[in-house]
Amino acid sequence: MRWISSLAAAAVALTASSAIAQTKIDFFFPVPVDGKLAKEMTRLTKLYNDSQKDVAVTGVYTGSYDETKLKAQAATAAGKPPAVVLMSANFVLDLKISGDIVSLEPQLKADGTTRTKFLDDFWPAVHANAIVDGELYAVPYQNSTPLLYYNKEHFKEAGLDPEKPPQTWAELVDAAKKLTKADRYGIALPEGYDYMGWIMEALSMSNGGRYFNEEYGGEVYYDTPSMLGAAQFVEDLVFKHKVMQQGVVEGGAVSSNFLAGKASMMLLSTGSLSFVRDSMKMPYGVAFVPRNVRNAVPIGGGSLVMFKGLSEEQKAAGWKFAKWLSSTENLGAWSRFTGYFSPRKSAYDTAEMKDFMAKNPDAKVALDQLPYAKPWFATYQTVAVRKALEDEMQAVLNGKKKAPQAVKDAQQAADALMKPYVEQTALKLP
Amino acid sequence: MTSIATHAPLLSAVRRKRRTLRARLARRAWPYLLLAPSLLLLAAFTYLPIVRVVWDSLHDKVHGTTATLFVGLRNYSDLFADKAFVQSVVNNLVYAVGTVPLSMALALLFALALQRSGRINAVMRALLLFPSMVPLVAAASLFFFIFLPGVGLFDHYLGKLGIRGANWLGDPDVALWSLIGITVWKNAGYYMLFYLAGLQTLSSDVLEAATIDGANGWQRLRHVIVPLLAPTTAFVLVIALINVLTQVDHVIVLTKGGPSNSTKLVLYYIFEQAHENFAAGRAAAASVVSVSFLLAVSLFSLKTMERGAHAAS
Repeated sequence: MRWISSLAAAAVALTASSAIAQTKIDFFFPVPVDGKLAKEMTRLTKLYNDSQKDVAVTGVYTGSYDETKLKAQAATAAGKPPAVVLMSANFVLDLKISGDIVSLEPQLKADGTTRTKFLDDFWPAVHANAIVDGELYAVPYQNSTPLLYYNKEHFKEAGLDPEKPPQTWAELVDAAKKLTKADRYGIALPEGYDYMGWIMEALSMSNGGRYFNEEYGGEVYYDTPSMLGAAQFVEDLVFKHKVMQQGVVEGGAVSSNFLAGKASMMLLSTGSLSFVRDSMKMPYGVAFVPRNVRNAVPIGGGSLVMFKGLSEEQKAAGWKFAKWLSSTENLGAWSRFTGYFSPRKSAYDTAEMKDFMAKNPDAKVALDQLPYAKPWFATYQTVAVRKALEDEMQAVLNGKKKAPQAVKDAQQAADALMKPYVEQTALKLP
Repeated sequence: MTSIATHAPLLSAVRRKRRTLRARLARRAWPYLLLAPSLLLLAAFTYLPIVRVVWDSLHDKVHGTTATLFVGLRNYSDLFADKAFVQSVVNNLVYAVGTVPLSMALALLFALALQRSGRINAVMRALLLFPSMVPLVAAASLFFFIFLPGVGLFDHYLGKLGIRGANWLGDPDVALWSLIGITVWKNAGYYMLFYLAGLQTLSSDVLEAATIDGANGWQRLRHVIVPLLAPTTAFVLVIALINVLTQVDHVIVLTKGGPSNSTKLVLYYIFEQAHENFAAGRAAAASVVSVSFLLAVSLFSLKTMERGAHAAS
């Protein structure tokens, strides 16, 4: 009988130890582009683990945003959901619709705060991508906007003032015409999947448009004057003004062309700022995305979300870690390290940040553009709806379609994709 | 005595029968016992997933709802009604026609040129084999820089000749052919290995006989070597066709199926449906269609291979 009592003792010891044991959680993070970011993230996780005893975080590097989504869904299906995931901010809506992520409202309530109070310190532009149907589902973490990069040497050569970059579409076309030469294009836009949609959002918003309904996932505004103007502008850059390469040019090819002096201006993410700063041999400048009607750019980037299937302890632990990661101090450091902007306004009031801005005036331009930033498109079937426009724009860039037809066809394809959702929601009538 | 005499053979006969029965049973069971480990693994990792995919292809869960419904063959009818799927099938056919015959012809040519062992030939073989040793992802990443419009290696050298290169990956009329080029570059050396092995097995008697009969080089190739290599060709063909449907790394790295769907192959379509569009049912249906096609091709080719082997012997 002795073994029974020793077993019982062991069981008691086991439960006792688990009661005081740490809550173990997984944190999945992607790193778009750069390996040194993965190392920094691992360092941060370790820092957090060493700083307290209640939560043990295992940081898992999970590739790109797409792969991270797949792996988080697979882990959840296998019954081991990651407590915190750094996810592309425009996947949040789709993941809520598919039921993969959980609302953060209970955590806010437990902290005795509200969504409005919690988001107060975050730039208004990042709010929409964090909220779905009036509830908080994500904590903004790293963000970017498009930016105009231009080659100052080319500007001088072409008789343009290198300190006066184009501010309107008309000035942009004028400058691009002067900059274009036999082996050089005046401007380059990233036109591969994903980037193309973002750039079209920037252009249509600069043209007064909205691209999508930020409050409801079943509407996009492709067949509208603001989008048509943007699409026609892109078509004209290639075929009328002849200042941009015909056909699709991927983001990587755009930056290579700009660095090699084969393109004098480009629209690219603020996320590429440190890369360009390190690699560009000629003097360059950055400026706001030129406007036709108003200054406006979409945000991009990643937010922290929590997957379904977590125990209450894990949820509480994940929330604690997410709050730590998104503290003023940590967001500021991450921003300086990566080149993303900090979604928290207070990060820019710290002494380190003021120092950094003084040393990097180009980062200051990106910051100054933030008040004009707007939400990133996110709809039911975000990726497919985005591709509906991108496929048409790629046809326009190749001279296979005219802009008016392209935006009509894109709208039709997008509406067909969102139909199941619209029928379950806005068109489901009593 | 008589009783014993009559019983004894009976008893031994029964025993013998029992023993042979047991032996036969053992003989029958033995192979299955030996096969059990691999059968178990195959069942777990091949047959069950196939069953699961077929099951999934008959069900659907609309994105945004929670219930999974039995929909019969609707995923299949939707699949064939989807313009993007039809285009991916067409793209895949063009891709097959562009890559398979060319890489096999080049492979045979290389093998014929390099079949004699020698120091130079050994180096040449290694050089030709090199592309197939580079993983497809890495090869595609390299070609990203070769194909860069304006500043890429390709355009750089074309520029020296005074030619302005095409937008290799950004023009829907050209992009698929760029991918075909990479595939041929990558696979021809690999298929060459099989042809080299095939050529080693050809008996020199037949070739000598043909030479004595006055057959010239072309005639020997056309009427002796190529027919005798039929089993190798059938084998390489199967491998090449499987590659056409299962290799997708270069699409993911270089074009993501664009521009305007012009390089979307079937496997990429499946990936997109399953992981971007929350349409697991349709992705499963497309998987069933493409796997059945592969199975049919393999069975057909293996049959021809057997016939070819008989004809050769």
